[in-house]
Amino acid sequence: MSDHRQDVQQMREAFAVALAEADGSDQLEALRVRFLGKKGELTSALKSLGRLPAEERPEAGAAWNALRGEIERALESAKSRFRLLEAEAEEHRQSVDVTQPGCGRPYGAFHPVVQVMHDVVDIFVGLGFSVASGPEIEDDFHNFEALNIPPHHPARDMQDTFYLERKGLLLRTHTSPVQVRSMLRHGAPLRVVCPGKVYRRDSDPTHSPMFHQLEGLLVDEDVSVADIKGCLEVFVNEIFGRPLKARYRSSFFPFTEPSMEMDVECVACSGRDSSCRICKGTGWLEIMGLGMVHPNVLRSGRIDPERYNGFAWGMGLDRIAMLKYGLNDLRVLFQGDAAFLSSGGVL
Amino acid sequence: MLLSLRWLRELIDLPLDGSTLADRLTFTGTEVEGIGRPCEKLKGIVIARVTSLETHPSRSDLLLAHLDRGGRKALCVTAARNLSENDLVCYAPPGATLADGTVLGEREFAGVVSQGMVLSAEELGLPSVETEVGILVLPEGHEPGVDAVTSLGLDDEIFELSITPNRGDLLSVLGVAREVQALVPGSQIREFEVDLPRDEAVWPVGFKGITIADAGCPLYGLGFIDDITVAPSPLDARIRLALLGQRPISNIVDATNLTMLFLGQPLHAFDFDRLPEPEITVRGARQGEMIRTLDGKDRLLEEGDLLITSGGRPVGMAGVMGGENSEVHEGTVRVLMEAAWFDPVRVSRTSRRLGIASEAAYRFARVVDPARCLVSLNYVHSLLAGWGAGRPEARIQVSRQREWDLHEVTLTRKKLERYLLWDDLTEAETILYRLGFQAQSRQEDRLSFIVPSYRPDVRIEEDLIEEVARIRGYDDEIIPSRLPGRPKDRGDIGATFRLWRKLREAAMARGYMESVQYSFISPESIEAIGLGEDSEERLLLANPLSREQSVLRPLLLPGFIEALQANLRKGWRQALRLFECGDSYGGGDGLELFREKRRFGAIVFVGKERQVLYGTRRREDFFSVKADVDALFRACRVRPDYRPGKLPFGHAGQTAMIHVDGEAVGFLARLKPILEKELDLGGALYAFEFDLDVLLERDLPSFATEVPFPAVLRDVSFLAPRNVAVADVEAFIRSHGGAMLDKVELFDVYEGDSLPVGFRSLAFSLSYRHADRTLVDAEVEADHQVLREALESAGYRLR
Repeated sequence: MSDHRQDVQQMREAFAVALAEADGSDQLEALRVRFLGKKGELTSALKSLGRLPAEERPEAGAAWNALRGEIERALESAKSRFRLLEAEAEEHRQSVDVTQPGCGRPYGAFHPVVQVMHDVVDIFVGLGFSVASGPEIEDDFHNFEALNIPPHHPARDMQDTFYLERKGLLLRTHTSPVQVRSMLRHGAPLRVVCPGKVYRRDSDPTHSPMFHQLEGLLVDEDVSVADIKGCLEVFVNEIFGRPLKARYRSSFFPFTEPSMEMDVECVACSGRDSSCRICKGTGWLEIMGLGMVHPNVLRSGRIDPERYNGFAWGMGLDRIAMLKYGLNDLRVLFQGDAAFLSSGGVL
Repeated sequence: MLLSLRWLRELIDLPLDGSTLADRLTFTGTEVEGIGRPCEKLKGIVIARVTSLETHPSRSDLLLAHLDRGGRKALCVTAARNLSENDLVCYAPPGATLADGTVLGEREFAGVVSQGMVLSAEELGLPSVETEVGILVLPEGHEPGVDAVTSLGLDDEIFELSITPNRGDLLSVLGVAREVQALVPGSQIREFEVDLPRDEAVWPVGFKGITIADAGCPLYGLGFIDDITVAPSPLDARIRLALLGQRPISNIVDATNLTMLFLGQPLHAFDFDRLPEPEITVRGARQGEMIRTLDGKDRLLEEGDLLITSGGRPVGMAGVMGGENSEVHEGTVRVLMEAAWFDPVRVSRTSRRLGIASEAAYRFARVVDPARCLVSLNYVHSLLAGWGAGRPEARIQVSRQREWDLHEVTLTRKKLERYLLWDDLTEAETILYRLGFQAQSRQEDRLSFIVPSYRPDVRIEEDLIEEVARIRGYDDEIIPSRLPGRPKDRGDIGATFRLWRKLREAAMARGYMESVQYSFISPESIEAIGLGEDSEERLLLANPLSREQSVLRPLLLPGFIEALQANLRKGWRQALRLFECGDSYGGGDGLELFREKRRFGAIVFVGKERQVLYGTRRREDFFSVKADVDALFRACRVRPDYRPGKLPFGHAGQTAMIHVDGEAVGFLARLKPILEKELDLGGALYAFEFDLDVLLERDLPSFATEVPFPAVLRDVSFLAPRNVAVADVEAFIRSHGGAMLDKVELFDVYEGDSLPVGFRSLAFSLSYRHADRTLVDAEVEADHQVLREALESAGYRLR
């Protein structure tokens, strides 16, 4: 009785030792042959059961069969473990250097002025303004006369104009002509912004013969200076990402009355650096011109100035982009310079 | 305009310092762009009197000047020859600083120690006030020992004012003083009276009178000054002009300039004895008439120019510039002094056309005050008489063609409230009164004001509101910020902008960099890509800044090529993808004629690197770029077709026209290799451009909502003639594949030496599908066989 128990236990231990030493599926097969094969140790033990007394046979048989089951399960589980290990070893052979660059084209790059244009448009769309557009090749009427700038008015000196050889055509000097076009098309009430390229005969580090403006126009009943202040302050805080102090100076534009210029606190130094390059130590940045629409302009747009009034503004998008992204040379913006464009990174 | 603060203070009591005043002016619409202190480096310089002069003991070219500097004595060595005993001079003792920043010490000249130096005008920083070589000798009236900078008024602050075109009235000390009086409570303009005799009698000198023959000159006045001695004007006048950046010339000219700077009225002095006839006629110029202006240039006149003539001959261009023939000169004895009101538009037109930006024309174009016109004659007379420069005739001659109407503008409580959310008419009246507007008729809710003659810019109620608003300011305590209410609709970004946004985001995602190019390009850049012939379609600038920017771009490509070349010059070697959404102008790019079109354009340069990371997978070619065009169109829900095309700059075998709904909307092409070589690109360049408008307002896409029954797949592979397009083969397969044919996809193209000449191998994967049931092989086999036979009989060689 005690004999076969001892034998079973000895074989169990022998198998455990052998299994622990196995380090591949080949050795598992050898183990299987050694214990479970036709001439295997356990097979032989089962075969020798006949020699036992009849009353001992059932118990001994059960014990040896139980061991057989254990060995089979152990081999099976070791086998699947080795399969996983071998698969992983194969994966290691396929390993890549994850620090190598990705394959394919990198993301492109946005242009700071165009990006600002889209950002500004989004802000004003949120305030109920719709986008309007007009031609860059304009005529004298829309660019000047309809905006209360008669021929030979000294105000024309404010903007040096590019003329086309084809008589009567010019490159718009501001986006303001779109004001009149929008009023004629849509009437009042009206809320539009008009972004686009404009042209003036001027070229130095702070002036480009081509630059970008965004014009805004609101026409309604009972519009006050308070309304444009509110709109533009929302805009300034959004575009620069934080609340900025604003102030207004009286100014003159032929198409607005009263007219103002808006300054905001310096985005670089907030007025704390008297040698600031951006604000020249004044603490303030001139950001745009604005005012209440001149009744003559409303009339040009066939809107009754007694019933309606409104406000308008015009801002240089290039300047805002330069302030926002800390750029200092306007001309580099329009050269398609790959090093410059790609340095700006992505959105 | 430059303004002397000291001069301003002579005219108005001002309880403010310069920088506070500058802020106040800036906020109310007259921007002070800078405050200059021209002599700010001068320090420690005092007035001194030369008590005696002697020659240097060992050097005869030097003088020893004994000075009295207010009880203290000093000795200076000088080489100047213009000193006399008793002269008053500026003396810089050791430790003093000159205009150029030099700090003086004691210096020995051949055994004599000079204690500092006596100064010339240049050493004071005002070279233009010098009238003789040497030391600046001062007139009597300065006290020895007193600080010279203060005594001579060199401590002035010069405001650089940016005066807006509507405010011609501010182009004078008087004008600014009036403005300041309204801005600064407690300031008051000092009365200054100049006698204004209204006698229009004929002078006793044989002058025949003024004839006005043009409506452009409704008011013309002449003064007469006799016994003139042309000489430098007094030192204080010269210093004043020099500080304002003007060059002192002579007493006559300086007096007219000072009067203009003070009162805003430009004056002109004619040498009476040089006039062709003793008369003045103002008339319009005749086409082709000539005048030589006092700058020595001959000017060709046009009808509409306003002329001052004498004896029929032009002697001046009214309000713009005088004629050389009647200019005041050293020997002038008698002068006619002109003060007039000329039509601003006429003066402006003439001065702009001829490019003469004179101070006079600048002021006339901005409308001078008719009420100041004649006063200024008396002012200049009194200046000249005071300087002993001549003997002005007490009376002046005037020709007045019309009176100026008083302008009345009404301010209503309603509009004031509407614009400023504030309706205090009483305070508004106070503000306007200080600005010179007199309330005329008064009702409860409206006030009428007489506009002063110097404010022709104020014509409507809104102008009055601006006057009130700018004095009150726009701070939050005065007028709050609020958002405008009652929007009619939500804001709409609009179809064009929306499309632009989709395209730029898709392009950037596919590795393109956004760029903005100039709209004007050089004619050479157009010719460089073979687009020279259609030049009559080009839009040219009449006044370009340079030839490089003289033509409006007919397409975006030339600008891209120039940008690429610039990048290559700076050493760029990698692949480069650029795009722009912008307009093209004019016609003649081989597509169709147009004037201004919104376009999307891009280039793909394959790069100059021989080695490309990860090999050919990343090398750009026609098809990698075509995939981008497809993707961009797909982002806009449009499916483009491509047809072989021909463009002057396009590779003969790699140029496609992009079609949408049967209409050519753009191109996709590789640049001709010969052009790539001429342009020295060092690699292939692909480009595509298309019009945006055709992509607008597309329908929503329809999704396949029903789960389809499984498809049966078949491949077909055959040799096809090289010149038959894949698109045509595909169309053939579709038309012969039967009703169950669903998808046709090209999966292999092979061209090679193993194939018969003129053929290539194409392999398509076909899927057959039935909408209502699962197909069995046999059904498909029949249809597929029909297709194979059709291909065979059409000349495709099945493999």
